[in-house]
Amino acid sequence: MAKRFLSLLSLGLLTLTACQTGGSGDEGPLKVGFIGPLTGDAAPYGVDMLNGTKMAVEEINTAGGVNGRMIELVVEDGRCTGADSASAAQKLVNVDKVIAIIGGGCSGETLAAAPIAEAASVVMISPLSSSPDVTMAGDFIFRDYPSDALKTKAMASLLREEEFTKLAMISENTDFAQAFRESLKQDLGVDMVVFDEVVDPGTKDFRTLITRLKDLEFDIFFPNGQSDAAIAAMMQQLREQGLLQQAISHDVADSITLGTLAPEAVEGMYIVNVPTAGEGGEFQKTFDQKFGGAQATIAFAAHSYDATKVLAKAIGTVGTAGTAIRDYLYSMPAFSGVVGNFTFDRNGDVVGIPYGLKAFKEGAIVKVRDLPVLP
Amino acid sequence: MQLLVNALIAGSLAALIAGGLSLVYGTLGVFNLALGQMVLIGGYATWWLHQEIHAPLIVSILFGLGVGALLSWFTFEVFVEPFWKRHRFLPLVTTIALSMMLDGAILLLFEERPRAIMPGLRPPFHIAGANISGIQITLILLTLLLLAGFAYILHSTPFGRKIRAVVQHPHAAESLGIAAPKLNRIIFILSGVLAACGGIYQGIDQNLSPTLAFAITIKAYAAIIAGGKGHLWGAILCAYLIALLEQLAIGVPWFGGAYIGAGYQQTVALFFIIAFLLFRPTGIFTSRARTA
Repeated sequence: MAKRFLSLLSLGLLTLTACQTGGSGDEGPLKVGFIGPLTGDAAPYGVDMLNGTKMAVEEINTAGGVNGRMIELVVEDGRCTGADSASAAQKLVNVDKVIAIIGGGCSGETLAAAPIAEAASVVMISPLSSSPDVTMAGDFIFRDYPSDALKTKAMASLLREEEFTKLAMISENTDFAQAFRESLKQDLGVDMVVFDEVVDPGTKDFRTLITRLKDLEFDIFFPNGQSDAAIAAMMQQLREQGLLQQAISHDVADSITLGTLAPEAVEGMYIVNVPTAGEGGEFQKTFDQKFGGAQATIAFAAHSYDATKVLAKAIGTVGTAGTAIRDYLYSMPAFSGVVGNFTFDRNGDVVGIPYGLKAFKEGAIVKVRDLPVLP
Repeated sequence: MQLLVNALIAGSLAALIAGGLSLVYGTLGVFNLALGQMVLIGGYATWWLHQEIHAPLIVSILFGLGVGALLSWFTFEVFVEPFWKRHRFLPLVTTIALSMMLDGAILLLFEERPRAIMPGLRPPFHIAGANISGIQITLILLTLLLLAGFAYILHSTPFGRKIRAVVQHPHAAESLGIAAPKLNRIIFILSGVLAACGGIYQGIDQNLSPTLAFAITIKAYAAIIAGGKGHLWGAILCAYLIALLEQLAIGVPWFGGAYIGAGYQQTVALFFIIAFLLFRPTGIFTSRARTA
């Protein structure tokens, strides 16, 4: 019975697929897929991503589309998990027959969707994934967000410069946080990491780990969480135990929500992230008007906006074939976007975006200085 | 000492939720899988009134409890009452459906970002080598008081006796003039209020995010299964026990100085429970042979 049902279902799916007009023909709208974490703990980033992408699509369509054809966005929720992202990619590639995909958000999403896009010769541009693994994810996989491999280098040299010698870190067990942890450990040297624990994703009770920290000598704390909810809980519980060491974190902490959740606890915390992402500029003004502000940070919206614009430019120049878009992206002249002037290297990694050191000051995030990008 | 305090903080949260669940499971024999969502909605409702409308905390908490009560009443009338007499596993399915709807509702109403009912830092006291904030002490004491109150009502008052009578033999109880359906309704609503208490606790002590619901439900079920079916005290004690085991698992060095990785925190605690149930399949605290 179950088998018969399955075969009926696949038959139905086949018919559906056959009926699809497909976005890659010469007529009709240009179908572009989107994968991002729209529900779950990482949803604030996904929503910012989606809004940035939508803004770019609307602008392109209002200006007459790409060579007269409108862009149609097909949105899928990757839920920050590999499994959901893979099925989203399957649907986009096989059912919707999209030309290209903007996404995924979480590194786990991008890594799971990559082989599917790669096999179908569909270009995928991630505006958010920073795991070093994405570098080798495939020939058709690009990102306009810098890899953590470079970011941990910048963070490590900052720590040495400021003469911190003992780092304590708690990491969530997700692709992004684990890749960051491994990469940072390599750049710092194992001796500098005096406390290194991994917790299940979604944990909110870190009290016992922090109790252990009390008996330990460390001079800087790194909450390596996948979501601002986890980082808020870590910082809050750390400070409640009377541990006042300097804290430092990455992109995830670059979230205004942290400042309202745990304003005193995150005060003074360092953040290493991409510096200029349209803050305060024309982009942010328009974005705030349209969507009532970013849920996490404007940077995520800006990167998605640029990824969409660069894709539209590629399609406008070389047409809708996946291989042609790929070749264009590898060899294109510097694209001047909201986040800066950038190109892609031979691995599809973005070139030309520096890092910035930011810090929490009275509940707000302020820029401290630029950090050099080390090769 | 700090470990004990940590366990008390985490355990009180789990005990609140497991207590309500144990009441329902013990009397109706019904699984409510939308429990975690009910917890979150109680917490979110409180957050909304306190942080968005800027009502005083007490008013907000009462509002949160009220929302919890209304929601559980609605759940009972629509998703449980029409089904559970036909087969007691039917609500298992209907409440899963409800949990999905509530998940969506939470996302729509309160957005994806995490929320805290009382953001900011609480200055801790130092008591016997442990750090604990005034609010945490209040939360723990209130929880204990509330649970003790419920247990007292159930085990030592005429009203509690009626409830236990309904559990043991609903038809006989009804023929003695006890309004069984009405009692069931009250119990279900009470469990909803306790769940809302849990959500408020979570929202004050840590923060609320929409994905917490399922983990909350699972922990509460672990506690009532380990505690013995429908045994209120057992469920509460087991909630604390699981919390303590979780803290001990990663807080003290085992086997000659090595710590167990924090990722195994829940595994270790639940492993203990499984091992225990192998020897006492009816639950850890059922020795007095009196259920509900």
